[in-house]
Amino acid sequence: MTEPHHPGAVAPERSRFFTSDGVRLRVDAWGDPSATPVVLLHGAFDHGRGFDLLAPLLADRFHVLSLTSRGHGDSEWVDSYAWPNDVADAVNLLRSLRTPAHLVGHSRGGGQATDVALWAPECVRRLVNIDGFGPPPEGFAPPGGSLDPRPAPLRFRDYLDRRRKAVARAWRPYPRIEDLVARRREQNPRLSPAWLHYFLHHGAREVEGGWVWKTDPEFATGFGPWRPEWIGPGWKGLRVPMLAIVGSEPDSWRLPEAVVAERLAHVPDLARAAVPGAGHFVHMERPRETAELLLGFLEP
Amino acid sequence: MISIQHGRVSLALHPLSETAGPKLLCLHALGGSARDFLETPPLWPGSVFALDFAGHGASGPLRGGAYHPELLAGDADAALAEIGPACLVGAGIGAYVALLLAGGRPDAVPGALLLPGAGLAGGGVAPDPETDTLARWVDFGAPLPGCDPAVRRLERDIRPPDYAAAFAQTARRLLLMAADFTPPPWWQAVRATPTAMLAPGDIATSLAQLAAATSG
Repeated sequence: MTEPHHPGAVAPERSRFFTSDGVRLRVDAWGDPSATPVVLLHGAFDHGRGFDLLAPLLADRFHVLSLTSRGHGDSEWVDSYAWPNDVADAVNLLRSLRTPAHLVGHSRGGGQATDVALWAPECVRRLVNIDGFGPPPEGFAPPGGSLDPRPAPLRFRDYLDRRRKAVARAWRPYPRIEDLVARRREQNPRLSPAWLHYFLHHGAREVEGGWVWKTDPEFATGFGPWRPEWIGPGWKGLRVPMLAIVGSEPDSWRLPEAVVAERLAHVPDLARAAVPGAGHFVHMERPRETAELLLGFLEP
Repeated sequence: MISIQHGRVSLALHPLSETAGPKLLCLHALGGSARDFLETPPLWPGSVFALDFAGHGASGPLRGGAYHPELLAGDADAALAEIGPACLVGAGIGAYVALLLAGGRPDAVPGALLLPGAGLAGGGVAPDPETDTLARWVDFGAPLPGCDPAVRRLERDIRPPDYAAAFAQTARRLLLMAADFTPPPWWQAVRATPTAMLAPGDIATSLAQLAAATSG
């Protein structure tokens, strides 16, 4: 199958693999390698090529690097997934650049970028969080499901049952890539079929019997004592400026503004922006407006 | 040694003694291995098994290094899937894992004896922005002998007392070894639940009591 094209999408000028904690992670790059680096972190179940619309708009002024997190896209699968490992991977990439970088993350990548800035402020110039302000206070519901109100030990029993079957878990192939596009559109109806076709061409692979997601089916099956109420207060220790971006449009993946405002109230040096006409996937839905905000906030 | 599978990792389960009677599964401390329990069989009236957690002893490492106690409980649960219901004895991180498994699978765990040891405390009761630095996950220190370097992440996971207490409440029977140490908050919360009792003395006496209390 030939590489699809999409208006405004520019394939990376360079791609390489970077090893963190023994795991091979894909890094895509645009722009002059001697310019100030901007590192991009994608959201859960996405991959680094989701920035093909935004990155070229920054590449005249910056060295733009998009990290594909473990278990996603062309990065390696691991045996088990936990949030801090992704934060550690991003810290390791930033350290390898040998100069502080601007850090931009979307959704889960936005929350992780914020943790990177907390843990390793010496590696981060400025921070942009695109709608990555954590799950709702009541916790995450699985896609298409409802919240599980049972006590931790009962939910943990389900986790143990899943772990017993983990070795054999695999994605069911979809007959055509268009079926993946349709499935993803159910979850993200604001994203156009044309863009999703481009995006999923890089986020899925052809196997016998059809197409499967590249994302590891074991991703997002973890268990732990983490709590949503820990999110905001932890941000009071941020030592770099944060630009917090949301879309102006309603989107089932967005938090209520009151929750966002309460969490962001802890950030010492905060700028906020709302992008008109965008939902949760701000940088995919309105790349030009997102780039303008970034170019105004990030210093070369 | 029995090779068992947890997810994509191959684990070493060591039968230390095989006789009729109740089964005991031994869970070692951080940096330890099944060898730490070689003297246990005479103290237990049935079969004794000891597991090497991922990244320890003869078990494989966890690719990517995402070690956390709940995952180690999955290691121990894979052992239960192999040997059937068993009492647990765990030291340090193995004690916390024994608590999680005793609370998560009370039908398969009649009781557990929790011992102090390396990895008992974890990294506090909630994230602390003042200390939550790179040390927690990136620069985790020198490797423990014979272990995957990343197992040291098990020194720093968050262990909220009410979370631990919830597992204690669903466990059938817990014995906590008294020792000359300041117990971490999760241990104190477990100690305060009705299913938990202070162990009566040394390991031999405590295992005898666990066997008596959980038989029949």
